[in-house]
Amino acid sequence: MAGGSAAHRRPPAAPIAERIELLPGERLVATARFDLDRDLHFTEGWLALTDRRLLGDNPASADGATESPDGLHAWLLDEASCLDVRVRGGVGRIELSCAGQVLARWLFTPAQAKPIHVLEDAFDQRNTRRRAPASHGEPLPGGPPLSDTIPAEDAPSAPPAPHPRFAGAEIDDEDPVGDAQASWRSLLRILAFARPNAGMALLGFGLSLAGTVAALVPPYLTMPLVDRVLIPRQAGEDVPFALVWWYLGGLVAAALVAWLLSWAQTWVLAWVSERVSADLRVRTYSHMQALSLDFFAAKRTGDLMSRISNDTDQINNFLSLNLIGFLSDTMLVLLTAAVLAWMNPLLALVTLAPFPLVVWLVYAVRERLRRGFSRSNIAWAEVSSVLADTIPGIRVVKAFAQETRETDRFRRANDHVLEANDRVNTVWAFFGPLVSLFSEIGLLVVWAAGAWMVFQGSVTVGGLTAFLAYIARFYGRVESMVRMVPAAQRASSSAQRLFEILDCRPTVAEDPHPIRPGRVRGRIEFAGVHFRYGTREILHGIDLVIEPGEMIGLVGASGSGKSTLANLVCRFFDPSSGTVSVDGTDLRRLAVTDYRRNLGCVLQEPLLFFGSVAENIAYGCPDAGPERVVSAARAAGAHGFILGLPNAYDSRIGERGGSLSGGERQRISIARALLVDPAILILDEATSSVDAETEVAIQSAIDRLVTGRTTIAIAHRLSTLRRANRLVVLDAGRIVEIGTHDDLLARDGAYARLYHAQTKASEDTTAAS
Amino acid sequence: MPPPSRLAEPAAWQFIPRPHGRLDVVDASGNLHLDIDLLRAFPISAPLGPVAVVAPDGSELAWIDTIGNLPEPLRGELLRQLSSREFLPVIDRIEAISDSDPAEWTVLTDRGPRRFQVATPDDVERLADGSAFVVDGSGVRYRIAAIAALDFHSRRLLDRTME
Repeated sequence: MAGGSAAHRRPPAAPIAERIELLPGERLVATARFDLDRDLHFTEGWLALTDRRLLGDNPASADGATESPDGLHAWLLDEASCLDVRVRGGVGRIELSCAGQVLARWLFTPAQAKPIHVLEDAFDQRNTRRRAPASHGEPLPGGPPLSDTIPAEDAPSAPPAPHPRFAGAEIDDEDPVGDAQASWRSLLRILAFARPNAGMALLGFGLSLAGTVAALVPPYLTMPLVDRVLIPRQAGEDVPFALVWWYLGGLVAAALVAWLLSWAQTWVLAWVSERVSADLRVRTYSHMQALSLDFFAAKRTGDLMSRISNDTDQINNFLSLNLIGFLSDTMLVLLTAAVLAWMNPLLALVTLAPFPLVVWLVYAVRERLRRGFSRSNIAWAEVSSVLADTIPGIRVVKAFAQETRETDRFRRANDHVLEANDRVNTVWAFFGPLVSLFSEIGLLVVWAAGAWMVFQGSVTVGGLTAFLAYIARFYGRVESMVRMVPAAQRASSSAQRLFEILDCRPTVAEDPHPIRPGRVRGRIEFAGVHFRYGTREILHGIDLVIEPGEMIGLVGASGSGKSTLANLVCRFFDPSSGTVSVDGTDLRRLAVTDYRRNLGCVLQEPLLFFGSVAENIAYGCPDAGPERVVSAARAAGAHGFILGLPNAYDSRIGERGGSLSGGERQRISIARALLVDPAILILDEATSSVDAETEVAIQSAIDRLVTGRTTIAIAHRLSTLRRANRLVVLDAGRIVEIGTHDDLLARDGAYARLYHAQTKASEDTTAAS
Repeated sequence: MPPPSRLAEPAAWQFIPRPHGRLDVVDASGNLHLDIDLLRAFPISAPLGPVAVVAPDGSELAWIDTIGNLPEPLRGELLRQLSSREFLPVIDRIEAISDSDPAEWTVLTDRGPRRFQVATPDDVERLADGSAFVVDGSGVRYRIAAIAALDFHSRRLLDRTME
């Protein structure tokens, strides 16, 4: 509904259909609303088209209107009447004129565009019907069918699919049953990321230490409170009540100090851990950007996304909530044990008896939990993968009516999460309460031993009270330490997944002492180039020299190695043997990013990023000013349609190019390549995703683009390569023919066969239509 | 496509305002172009930068590199013409933003009150200079000149959309 957002605070004007007074025999054809007045302020008004008149509320400007009895302005229409609708710069204008004389003008926002275009179409049909009175078409009561005013939306261009041939990666993929030691090692590695904030981390540790000590004070004060005040008082001794105040004051002070310390500690630790995980995210992402294409070919987008977002978050939680808590718990447990031993060694020994059992339990359960969380993380990554797959591919899903199947696929992935979590929960559900049981038993043991000792007179009631208070704290801390175990295992499995990325080395390695090429001339030489992936050999010894400024067309069947050859020039991969050199220097000796600044690429699917048109054109050169952006767009033949967008060069285009057509997106990507003024240009099926007519429009842009640059063009449609100086025909990874179009046709070889097959196919389609 | 003639001598071009908000132009060689349009090429990032002079059919008649550099009174006249044909309401106050999806905004603008829907958080764009743009479901753009200058209520609502 185009008008859905136009709801107004003022009482809306009644629909015109309710107000209009039709002349005898007059028929209402279409109505529409306008929402701007002459000063471009919001207003509310209606337009109505009948078979004789155009009526409307207050126009922005008007001439020659007759005020009709219903309070509307009305114009009688005749054959010279003309209705013109134009939308520019975010304002729509509808203009009624007669023989070149403007009669009335209304203004509207794009929110009303659709119904107004419908009204315009109805107006045009009315005119045609008048001119052809024989027409017997009965006008539709609600106006003619909706005109399609929305720009044709082409298939969304998914991010360039990773080369399927280069599946597999440097690193082994997840191994859920890894070395137990690895989990602690990866947690320790995380701590290295805290180094820039070591000061704050130490402060946090100090605070938690102080907090621990402060927490030990209150039970110690209860002992004299009971023994020196309460019990003597009960025994009839005269104890001043002031002493109670004194001890209570101490308890309050200790509680306040403990509260202040834990407040500061929580804040400091959260601060540090946010920074550690933020740093981890950025480092992982920037490392990933540096990795070669084959890494991305082997990984699933959703999995990588989940590693960078979900896994860093797990680590953050662990650091802020659990890690220092664990350290302070350990200290408290040790200190309490020391205090207990100092107060009464025998009672302490009895109390701590169940403790080794707890330690053993933790040890036993840890490995199970780690494995469980590892599975759970993998299952989560699977869920994100399904999302990352199907959301960009939603058109395919819908076109093939596979919504149910994709939902099932999602449900299956989700079930894996459920199953993995169930397994962890089973272990945890049994284990958690068991530890509670042990601590209860510990407490009972103290009560029993303590009661016996009070009877024996070897301990005071106050001493026992303090002991019980300590022991409650002790097992409370033990429990929370135990609870830390799953959190630590979860974090360590997340940490491992991150380090898998961080430990990955780019296969296209930068030379330790690279040559900075600056601007290259563009002489490309392949010398005995073989390229192998796994056991498959894709290129079998390519020898080819491309002169500066020459345009080479690569021709051949799918899988003949055309794209691989282009990828080698981009240095997305290195050859298995042989060399690719530019201006006589082996590509491997050149600084990768410096060299790539000399490259321009126009790919089959022009990937545009979320941002304005200008930002997309200036992607390779963000400092470029408006003049360069505009001149690149002009040369690419994109300037005209960009001016027509609501905010011209500042219009935002979505992640997949949104409202632009395939040809328009391609012209923007050509402008993007033109702006960097590349010495070497790669055209990989640049026109194969657009129709023949758009191709003609793009072709002239491409012609301008290739002038004076070394160009490697790949195309199935041989007509695209008409400007190529030489055509190189590849077959199964070998060069079979080189020559101009005419040479190759005369030779009557592989190229001639391809060419005749294509011309015949296109003749067939023309004949068929 | 031949490059459009530059307004090398902008003073030699004569812009003639007509009734009904129309604008005609007589170019340097004396040709009259009826009902032309002026379009800023960078209405947001460089409003005083390039401006295209466009014929009714959308084809470009001329290109002004920097409108800000034109001599007066031409500059003033063109800026007046531009402002009368550009629509970019400025949000002065945000009354309410619903929790629904899409969110419904109720705002006060310099062009009057308005209620509209915002499809995704991406449609609210904060710029580095402290201003912001909001695009509603039908493609109408709204500007917030300075977020810091909004009242507390509006800012709180706006902040909530950024979560």
